[in-house]
Amino acid sequence: MSDRDQQLHDLTRPPSSASYLQEAWNRREFAILVPAQDLRAQNMGTVLGQLWHIANPALLVGVYFLIFGVVIDTSRGVENFLGFLIVGVVLFHLTQRVVQDAAVCISRNLGLIRSVQFPRILLPAATLNGQTAAFVPALVLAMVAVVATGERPSMRWLALPAVLAAQFLFNFGAALLVARIGASLSDLQQLLPHLFRLLFYASGVIFSVEAFVTSPAWRRAFALNPIYDVITCARWCLVGELADGWVVAGLLAWCIALPVIGFVVFHRSEQRLGA
Amino acid sequence: MGPAVTVRVRDAHVYYRVYEDPVPGLKQIFAQGRARRRYRTIRALRGVSLDLHESETLGLIGANGAGKTTLLSAMTGLLPLESGTILGRCRPSLLGVSSALRPALSGRRNILIGGLALGFTKAEISSRADEIIDFSGLRDAIDRPMRTYSSGMRARLHFAIATARIPDILLIDEALAVGDEDFRRRSAQRIDEIRSAAGSVVLGTHVMDEIERHCDRVVWLDDGVLKAVGEPGEVVAAYLASTAPR
Repeated sequence: MSDRDQQLHDLTRPPSSASYLQEAWNRREFAILVPAQDLRAQNMGTVLGQLWHIANPALLVGVYFLIFGVVIDTSRGVENFLGFLIVGVVLFHLTQRVVQDAAVCISRNLGLIRSVQFPRILLPAATLNGQTAAFVPALVLAMVAVVATGERPSMRWLALPAVLAAQFLFNFGAALLVARIGASLSDLQQLLPHLFRLLFYASGVIFSVEAFVTSPAWRRAFALNPIYDVITCARWCLVGELADGWVVAGLLAWCIALPVIGFVVFHRSEQRLGA
Repeated sequence: MGPAVTVRVRDAHVYYRVYEDPVPGLKQIFAQGRARRRYRTIRALRGVSLDLHESETLGLIGANGAGKTTLLSAMTGLLPLESGTILGRCRPSLLGVSSALRPALSGRRNILIGGLALGFTKAEISSRADEIIDFSGLRDAIDRPMRTYSSGMRARLHFAIATARIPDILLIDEALAVGDEDFRRRSAQRIDEIRSAAGSVVLGTHVMDEIERHCDRVVWLDDGVLKAVGEPGEVVAAYLASTAPR
């Protein structure tokens, strides 16, 4: 073997973890600008065009407003039920969209994975960024709805960014985990809607868990559900619901543990993703 | 001592596990009792060894399904191998950016997307955009959605994006065949640039004209194994003889 041949290195070997994260960070524009282009492409052929990014969440909030605010009155012991409901629906929706999209983010980009080298973590990250950006108008509308239903901005609103940041981290971890599983098990795509239907009820999106569950032990069990934790903390901020220490601890634990677990699981077998 | 090696493939095996969907006859249904899912392993590459050299254009020919695309993907090191090794002095670029592009968006926006996928920053892409558009020859169509492009126009755009930074090792899979004479001239120019910079090009194609126009050496792939390697004239003649109707 000549000297020059010794410059050859193994192309199938994965890069080390440290340089991996560095490289992912260097290429973060991909995970920000590509989903932005995708959001633009989404409504390209429609009459309203880019206005749909506002019209869609407005309709989501509007439908709940109509049904639970006008048609049926189901406060069930909640002071501001409409505000309570809309905060829950909007936040639940965000996690659901991120996770369901992440399940297909690998299979949708298989051609790219097989031809271009880049840290694959950028694909679930792009999914997360795209859905989070699409969520901003919904959040603004939810806050308008909360004020419209009689709440006044208070010091508690200042805690909302921290709650949303925790949800973002949790969503990131969930996206990594689901992207990895979804890449080898496409059945996941069929299962997820049912899992989320279950979580919808287990997270107290349309009813107050406080009002239904009286046993403290059972309430603590609800704190194990990260989406319940997020929604309850956000409601504490915006509509003055109660949030106990268990819920806050649960949210903190999830938003730290899941991104770490997600990264390890995703990165470990990343080299096999193109198969 | 011969020219330096840029990519070395040793005993590469690539298998795909695929689900077969036969239409069972009545007899089979009775014989098996019930329909059974059948998985089959496709051996797309079965022990391929190959050296790619500096300043070389290597042609890759073979029937459909012979493993040309698989071999090109494997040479990037990104397709998991069953066994074998792929060594290289740098990672070859496969003209595969097409899969990142979005048909609903304009050519200009796709230059951004494709560039980001290839690892450019937004600023780098903006500064090269004019050059890419000029090379693609699509200035009049660049703001139209890409789905309104003809296949030749799409190929022009893909090629222009993928070679925006002249790669050291370029792998081309049937990308040039749909182009017109003007595009062929432009792409031939790029291939020459790579070669004169001591890079290597692999050209997978069914168009024997292209092989004769560009290649120094040809590999004939048949059912996952190398059937012949050598002078373009000889290998092409042998390949054509094997496909001639008997």
